[in-house]
Amino acid sequence: MKNILVVDDDDAIRMLIEMELAEEGYQVLTASNAQDALKMVQTEDLDLVILDIRMPGMDGLEALPRILGLKEGLKVILNTAYSQYQESFMSWAADAYVIKSADLTELKSKVKELLT
Amino acid sequence: MTPAMKQLKGLTTIIMAGGRGERLFPLTRDKAKPAIIFGGTYRIIDFTLSNCLNSGIRNIYVLSQYGSFSLDIHLRLTWDILRPDLGEFIYSVPPQQITVNRWYRGTADSIYQNLNLLEYERPRQVLILSGDHVYKMDYLTMLDFHLAKDADLTVAAVPAPRREASAFGILHVDADNRVIDFLEKPAEPPGMPGNPDYSLVSMGVYIFKAKTLVQEVIADAKNPDSNHDFGRNIIPQMVGKKKVFAYPFQDQETGEPSYWRDIGRLDAYFTAHQDLLGPQATFNLFDADWPLRGYVVPTPPAMFTGRRFEVGDSLIAEGCVLEDAKVVNSVLSPGVKVGAGAVLEAAVLWDKVSIGAGARIRRAVIEDGVVVPPGFTIGYDSEADAQLFTLTEEGVVVVPNNVRLEVD
Repeated sequence: MKNILVVDDDDAIRMLIEMELAEEGYQVLTASNAQDALKMVQTEDLDLVILDIRMPGMDGLEALPRILGLKEGLKVILNTAYSQYQESFMSWAADAYVIKSADLTELKSKVKELLT
Repeated sequence: MTPAMKQLKGLTTIIMAGGRGERLFPLTRDKAKPAIIFGGTYRIIDFTLSNCLNSGIRNIYVLSQYGSFSLDIHLRLTWDILRPDLGEFIYSVPPQQITVNRWYRGTADSIYQNLNLLEYERPRQVLILSGDHVYKMDYLTMLDFHLAKDADLTVAAVPAPRREASAFGILHVDADNRVIDFLEKPAEPPGMPGNPDYSLVSMGVYIFKAKTLVQEVIADAKNPDSNHDFGRNIIPQMVGKKKVFAYPFQDQETGEPSYWRDIGRLDAYFTAHQDLLGPQATFNLFDADWPLRGYVVPTPPAMFTGRRFEVGDSLIAEGCVLEDAKVVNSVLSPGVKVGAGAVLEAAVLWDKVSIGAGARIRRAVIEDGVVVPPGFTIGYDSEADAQLFTLTEEGVVVVPNNVRLEVD
């Protein structure tokens, strides 16, 4: 079973993604901030991280290179309500960039694509 | 205004200066390679930095790592001349370990680890240079070429006789100078179109479209099989997939190859010094059109005492004191003392070396502060030299300043 970490400061979004991915048969872990996510990258055997960008404390673009530095080759999907971060060079280090939506079809298809 | 002049504002320049320089050991045992003394009053990086200034480039990042203090000191003493409030700077950037807990794994990784700098600058083009080459090059001419070709990457390349080119990374190009293959140390280097006796040697001087560079270093950082090196990984991987061009570094009118030396080995270091000497020096330091900036020591002028000295085809820096001695084909850094009756032939002496009376030195590089006792000889007995010093393949003696020289 593939392990996915969902990092988002919004409880509702975290729960929504967790539920839907669990239904698809993934093992889902969650973190409400980047610091906790970095710890989990070191302790858990993860296959993919779904990473919000705008979060209090460390944001997703700061966390992204640190995550990749801790576990080389770990897949990361940036999942944000904003499109402008696609211009940021650092965002290019992610495997995918998905604009947040209540409909998780695109996110789920990216997850499937990256984990198969 | 040429296209390059317009683009100058969109250009970020990065000098690679972090390598260990193992093939220059012992000279690099406690210093960064770009901070090694060269040509009496210069450090190797001064040629690249002078090229930048002469090309109008005044915003430069120097990525340092190994022996970075020696480089920082030099940048402070010699290159603290720009005005950051006008957007001009030379900043030294060692591995910061902010995003990753590691040193620079290679040249490409050093860019990856500094993506925040590129994010801050948001350049359109990035010029990547090396801190250990001796040459004079107008980077704007190369930028013009790069822009005219709308290249993703332009690699500067010097034409070298085909038979001597096997030791280098060779660019195989078509008639339009588009790179169709990159060959690392090929047994049979391909000739240039229209000049089959010459091959194009990569100089480690690159101009990238900034976005392409970012994509490439990110992909490289994720590749566990990569050495994270521009020459070994990034360039070969881009050839055939992206628009990669070679910019021939040669006289625009005559096609004569321009002077470029990689000071990567001790013999190359020694031989390049010989290129500085004589009235028809291969590499002219006295070029009013291309000033080369080195470290000027506040010290008195060179003084020659006595009337029977013989000096020819040599560079003698300020602060040297020569008694009746013979000095030919040699380069003396500031503050060197040469006693009466001493003979120097093809000697490269760093700062404040003291040569005792009657000592004889031939084909040698001597580090700063070494005291050579009266009557001592270096370069005349390779067995004796090899016991005390480093002897290169071509028989040059390298005397580090951590050995004590004594007469039997």
